[in-house]
Amino acid sequence: MSFEQIINGENQETPPLAPVPARVIRTTSDAVDMELLKAFEELQSDDGSDLIVELIDLYLKDAPQRMLAIREAALENEWGLLKRAVHNLKGSSANLGVRLVAETCIKLERIECEHSTEGVRKLLQQMDDEFARASEVLLSERQRRLQ
Amino acid sequence: MRVVIAEDDAVSRRILETLLRKWGHEVTTTQDGEAAWNVLREPGAPSLAILDILMPGIDGLELCRRVRQSPNNIPPYIILLTANHGVPEIVKGIEAGANDYLIKPYDSDELRARVQVGVRMVELQTSLAERVKELEVALTHVKKLEGILPICSYCKKIRNDLDSWQHVESYVAAHSQVEFSHGICPACFENTVKPQLESFQISQALALEPGN
Repeated sequence: MSFEQIINGENQETPPLAPVPARVIRTTSDAVDMELLKAFEELQSDDGSDLIVELIDLYLKDAPQRMLAIREAALENEWGLLKRAVHNLKGSSANLGVRLVAETCIKLERIECEHSTEGVRKLLQQMDDEFARASEVLLSERQRRLQ
Repeated sequence: MRVVIAEDDAVSRRILETLLRKWGHEVTTTQDGEAAWNVLREPGAPSLAILDILMPGIDGLELCRRVRQSPNNIPPYIILLTANHGVPEIVKGIEAGANDYLIKPYDSDELRARVQVGVRMVELQTSLAERVKELEVALTHVKKLEGILPICSYCKKIRNDLDSWQHVESYVAAHSQVEFSHGICPACFENTVKPQLESFQISQALALEPGN
């Protein structure tokens, strides 16, 4: 996948895939679109720093805060806040190719929270699981790049 | 060109910053509307602003309104980033004062092209503002005559501000950009010069007659 496609965030805007059961077993390779992530090599700066490492660090620092905000909003039935935080998490996840988190975010954006609190709960669990898998892949990629 | 980015998502902000720097711009990044507003109020503020609509605190729309209401000499060119595809969102953005918008996720070539439009607009505005300034300076050097001038009905001298009577030529020359070049109009030639010449010729002829 090209850099243009990353920026286009095609994952972000495509209709959601067929519903995925909350606790489905996935392999870590599904969690992150490595081809998409590596396309950022085109943008590497001249100062020797690794942009991809930097983006991974930013994501791994930022996403948990967003997820915490999402959980807090869900606990307090603040659905507007929840959708907003989900929207932000979706954007950064799609940008980095963390596609399963992004897909879960799309589902959370579309679900009618008021009428489906159980559905929200399942999707939040799914989001945590997908993020855990993605973090593993991203950290491994980070380590590989720093060696 | 100096560009300010206001984007609360760290990953998107870094990608945007990297792209703009790669294209040769000087970039200031902010993560909320308040910080961007502070940057845009500074003297010598960036001429181009790329603002996310959805931000904590002051959002992109409110930021646009504030920028447009502030008395900047050359207001910045504003590109709004919106994730919503709806026309109302875009209309709101433009009504709030944005020059352009981009729907996220955006294409980097499209972003580059739109930024270039902004650069051209800012350069044009800057050039026009400089021209206006030059004209204003030039206007301060232009002298003009206006109002009522007291003039003598007989000798046509003009009474100046010091209450003394000045020849019309020197008065006009002192109060305007005018310079005089002297000549004789046909009527004065017929009525004044010609009789004087004839009288002169007669007196010369008489002087040359024998016995004088």
